[in-house]
Amino acid sequence: MILHVLGCSYRTAVVGVREKLAFQGEQLDRALDALTSRFDCEAVILSTCNRVELYVGQVVDSLSSKADTVGPSALINFLAEFHGLDVEKVRPHLYQYQQSGAVRHLFHVASSLDSLVIGEGQIAGQVKAAYEKAQEHSSAGPLLHALFRHARQVARRVRTETGISKGHVSVSSAAVDYVRQVFDHFADKTILVIGAGKMGELTLKHLKELRPRKIVVTNRSPEKAQTVAHGCGGEAVPWEKLDELLTQVDIVLSTTGAPEPIVTLERYQKIAARRTRGPLAILDIAVPRDFDPRIHDGDQTCLFNIDDLQRLRDATLAERLKHVSPAESIVEQEAKAFLADWARRRNGPVIQRLTQDLESKRQAVTRNLFSKLNGKLSDADRKYIEGAFRLLQNQFLHGPISALTEETHAQEAAAQHTLLDALRKLFRLQE
Amino acid sequence: MTVVCFLASYLVALGLEIWRLFRPRPILWVLALLTGGAGLVAQTIYLTVQQPPLVGQFGWMLFTAWILAIFYLGGSLHHSQLAWGVFVLPVIIGLVGLAALGGALDPPESGGLLLENWTPFQLVHVALLFLGGIGMCVGFVASLMYLIQAHRLKAKVPLRHGLKLLNLERLEEMNRRAVTLSFPLLTLGMLIGLGLMFVKGLSGWTDPRIWAALIFWLAVGLLLYVRYGLHLRGRQVAVWTIVVFALLLGCLSLSHPVGQGSAREKPDGLGRVDGPGEAP
Repeated sequence: MILHVLGCSYRTAVVGVREKLAFQGEQLDRALDALTSRFDCEAVILSTCNRVELYVGQVVDSLSSKADTVGPSALINFLAEFHGLDVEKVRPHLYQYQQSGAVRHLFHVASSLDSLVIGEGQIAGQVKAAYEKAQEHSSAGPLLHALFRHARQVARRVRTETGISKGHVSVSSAAVDYVRQVFDHFADKTILVIGAGKMGELTLKHLKELRPRKIVVTNRSPEKAQTVAHGCGGEAVPWEKLDELLTQVDIVLSTTGAPEPIVTLERYQKIAARRTRGPLAILDIAVPRDFDPRIHDGDQTCLFNIDDLQRLRDATLAERLKHVSPAESIVEQEAKAFLADWARRRNGPVIQRLTQDLESKRQAVTRNLFSKLNGKLSDADRKYIEGAFRLLQNQFLHGPISALTEETHAQEAAAQHTLLDALRKLFRLQE
Repeated sequence: MTVVCFLASYLVALGLEIWRLFRPRPILWVLALLTGGAGLVAQTIYLTVQQPPLVGQFGWMLFTAWILAIFYLGGSLHHSQLAWGVFVLPVIIGLVGLAALGGALDPPESGGLLLENWTPFQLVHVALLFLGGIGMCVGFVASLMYLIQAHRLKAKVPLRHGLKLLNLERLEEMNRRAVTLSFPLLTLGMLIGLGLMFVKGLSGWTDPRIWAALIFWLAVGLLLYVRYGLHLRGRQVAVWTIVVFALLLGCLSLSHPVGQGSAREKPDGLGRVDGPGEAP
């Protein structure tokens, strides 16, 4: 097995460099074709906003001595040439992994352990998309098929067996988390959107996923209210009806650009006195804040501002870090399992050939012996002699097979090849 | 088998639930369920064999605890991620503990359930009051959870820390349903009880337990008025519910005049007494 990973990520290259090395659209198609034809190898390219990685593999026939034709330098040159960049300018931003290191790296990446936000859910889909693209181009062969399929299993295990992907790490989705602490069902809830800020759009998108009964939008500018209402499938209501709306709705998303609170404590107390509905959850993500923070009581009025949401996000991230260690253990376990399985596949033909070879020699020797001793041996004697030769054969094979298996666990390709080469030469297994 | 058997099981289950707050592991949840389930089985066997009188503190509290144990197991299975047991188990343990402490006043020999000695009206009277009491226990648990959840929201405690509770709306709904269902059950039970008292010539009407039950029933009615008449919600209603639950405990801690009567009248050789035929 020859496996290389070459690439850059947010850790090693700023976005300006990553942009230049990225593969988009037809570039990706050309790159896959160019890689496979130039190096006669398997290839998968993972290109996201935070990383660009080339996964290149070759299955070396254990019965031949095919030289390693693709190496890190060749890949760096390819990458630089493809994008028309100077190799020496690109090289400092690149990292490379080989063999078991490459396996571990992919498993880390797919499990989101190498992501900017640990535990993020997008990377698994991006890895899958990269693999599927390679399949379309037939650039993924048996090695990368096995590797990327295993990577998906690893990602699934990490996600389900650890808490690394639990909770929300964006401010807008953290807002929904808070709202869920107040309300149980949303089909009978009305959401009021005040203002039209950009941050509000993303939060509103998450709130819409709760499928509320109704969304109403108000803004000092009726045109902006109409635009936002149209965008979210809501209804625009005049600004003058704000107080009335606050007595009737259940969730408020406030994101105006007002320089001071639009709802003061005194104003809200009058509104609260007229409310007959249950609690009111207010997401005040405006800066400066739109609602007086003193109205928050955690009971009938739950007010969350941008600081609260960011604190929630930070707490979630900190919590996720606790799950990194168990996740790493899973990755290590699965990497060993993959390498052992792959080695078994690679060593299988050698062991089979060795066994067949010795078997045929044993049969030839016993045939010769029986023909010379014809008539002098009983059936029981023949069986005993055959059994003895078979036992000798098994004992003879045990040593080389055990040594090969032990060497597999050493995870060093060079050592494995040396032993394989030795077995080929010692037992004349070369074609 | 004694009360200690299932009390110990519930205590172990509570210990495991508390441990789970600090180390959320699925195995702890499973163990808590198993020990809680073992406690329930032991309690079921005890109640079946011993048949403590429902009219006394001992029997009443044990039966209430038994129903709540089923409630605990069901809730724990349904809300495996929540700190359900941390709230329900202390109520169960408290009831069993109180029953064990006050049980001397209602020795089992006072006649068991002896359902064959009860008139249908007496059975219905006891069943309705019993169910109404269970409702108030559920309301109490929901209220306690509500107050804690509201406090966490007020303090803006990070959501993934510590207790995981149901949201405010769900807890309020649980409380509302529990109290709203309890009141008609209690009312009907009280009316039947009053009827039985009149039939017996108002015998036992001065008993403290009767007056305590009446005060409790009035308090539940007031709680409903506060909710639906004055439209109070949330924390205020939760606090009221807890106060009413305290009245229920006070009521349960008093001996039922029928139970007292049974204790005074020694059972005959067959363990029978002149049944709970006296008015409550």
